[in-house]
Amino acid sequence: MLADTQPDIAEGARSMGSGAPARRRRPRLNRQKIAPYLFILPNMLVFAIFTIYPAINMFNMSLYDSRNGRTFRWVGFDNFTEIATDSEFLQVLTQTVVFTIGFVGFTVLFATLFALLLNDSFRGRTFFRAVIFLPSLLSAVVIGLLWGWMFERTNGLVNVALGSLGITGPGWLVQDHLAMGVVIFVGLWMHTGFYTLIMLAGLQGIDPNVHEAAKVDGATTWQRFTKITWPLLRPTTLVVLILSTISGFQAFDFIWTLTGGGPVGSTTLLVQYIYERGFSTPTRYGLAAAGGVVLFGFVFVLTAINFAYGRRKEAA
Amino acid sequence: MSTVGQESVVAQETVAGSGTGGGRGRGRPKGTWTSVAATRTPTTLVVLRYAVLVTAALGVLVPLTWTVLSSFKSQSELAQRPPSLMPKSFAPTNYTEAMSRFDFGTYLSNSVIVTVGATILTVVINTMCAYGLAKYNFRGRNALFLLVLAMIMVPLQVILISVYKVASDLGLVNSLWGLIIPPAATPTGVFLIRQYMLSIPDELIEGSRVDGAGEFATFLRIIVPLCGAPIAVVTVFSVMWRWNDFLWPLIISQDQSKYTLPVALAQFSAEEVVPFNYILAMSVVAMLPVVLIFLFLQRYIVTGIANTGIK
Repeated sequence: MLADTQPDIAEGARSMGSGAPARRRRPRLNRQKIAPYLFILPNMLVFAIFTIYPAINMFNMSLYDSRNGRTFRWVGFDNFTEIATDSEFLQVLTQTVVFTIGFVGFTVLFATLFALLLNDSFRGRTFFRAVIFLPSLLSAVVIGLLWGWMFERTNGLVNVALGSLGITGPGWLVQDHLAMGVVIFVGLWMHTGFYTLIMLAGLQGIDPNVHEAAKVDGATTWQRFTKITWPLLRPTTLVVLILSTISGFQAFDFIWTLTGGGPVGSTTLLVQYIYERGFSTPTRYGLAAAGGVVLFGFVFVLTAINFAYGRRKEAA
Repeated sequence: MSTVGQESVVAQETVAGSGTGGGRGRGRPKGTWTSVAATRTPTTLVVLRYAVLVTAALGVLVPLTWTVLSSFKSQSELAQRPPSLMPKSFAPTNYTEAMSRFDFGTYLSNSVIVTVGATILTVVINTMCAYGLAKYNFRGRNALFLLVLAMIMVPLQVILISVYKVASDLGLVNSLWGLIIPPAATPTGVFLIRQYMLSIPDELIEGSRVDGAGEFATFLRIIVPLCGAPIAVVTVFSVMWRWNDFLWPLIISQDQSKYTLPVALAQFSAEEVVPFNYILAMSVVAMLPVVLIFLFLQRYIVTGIANTGIK
């Protein structure tokens, strides 16, 4: 503005004291050049040390055998051949897939159901939404602990309630198939509220005019659901599907206090396998790292699908 | 309890001006909306809706209420068959004795120190990083931003062994710093704040520079005060993440004196060294702050999830 109204004065000032402003301007420009790097430095440093380097080093570690974390012996792909032929690892992998399928299936089903029920305005809507969401904020350790106590065979709340109906409740956490069922149920109890919120956000994104128009044309509630809501909700459903699958593969903490992976390893999942190879004797760092690489494979593929899909949605 | 929650959600909808159904009902005088709703939805659907939602709400609230009530029972009351609904007294014996006899005071204070320390660090470095990525043009900026996003793909569970090795090489095992520093650089936080900062006009920054303010002063006095909303979201999330954190403290806090509350609960309940009435009382303590945060700050939590899809 100064330069516009008084061009000659500004010009004069620049030519007159050419030394001083230039000297003052250079540090200012330099500061602006260095500043962004200084702003991102602390965060990036922590990232580099505690995420990027370990992520790269994990592949490296998976090629070595180490039983103490200090001496490493190069073994090539032996760790991978070992876990691929290890019946325990294969069992853990199968159980992880079974858990994930059950968990994701029920989660998507219930999250969709709850979101649909919570979508219109009715008395108590905010209360129900809050209550359904609440468990996903609680400590997973505590949730596992409490459900383990409630599913306890003789004096747990579940069997006491069944007993009052004249039913003798089974040993939920003693029989392996039941224990897996309980683990899936608790996972569902803990996470459904979170995915319900995401589904609800998706539902709120559907233009109400489309529904109004369909209603004017005489569409029934069921027709509006199958022809409008469901197709328009598909992108959100996919997001929920992928996020819950990733979360299923990473499940650990609530299972640790609920069943501890038992009975006889029947609810031990991939992360617990990694943890036990790394932190309980006999430690096998290489096997733990190889397990980490396998888990990374799953997470990477799923996240890549999610990103690719998100990109396509943005482009459209 | 529920009314507070309801109010905050209503407040959120008013602020956001969203909520398709809620918006329609609000302006209408009381009493008229019921008849409109009745013609809109068949009665069977209404009944079905309440049946399902009430069942779900009971499924959440019954176990939690049962836990709170039982946390006041003595060991013999807990073993009683069939169990009584109400405890004999509401004296907080379990709570005080867990603290005094089993060192839960230490674990609680460790949890508080880690949660507060890590949250402060997270907010500071995430906000700075977000500003650098949002408001400067420099070589490699987009690559670095993508790198931050890619970090979401590398959760702790995946790199457990190799991060532990780094932490142990740096002497962070069995130290509270080891619980505070490594998880502080959250990709979610950087992402959330950066997206918000993009909407702040560059003219504000230019103006501050013309006034002669330095780069950091501009950030601190102009930008940070404008970013209250995303910073609040990141603060709330960080508090909940760190408070509930388990896997990382489990491998870092190997020494009992460095246990956080979740680690202590998991270890002691597995070893059965601590009577279960104390475990129950401390479980309630572990849930309480999060429930309180949820009741009062629901708006920020819901916004955060809607914006990022990350919990």
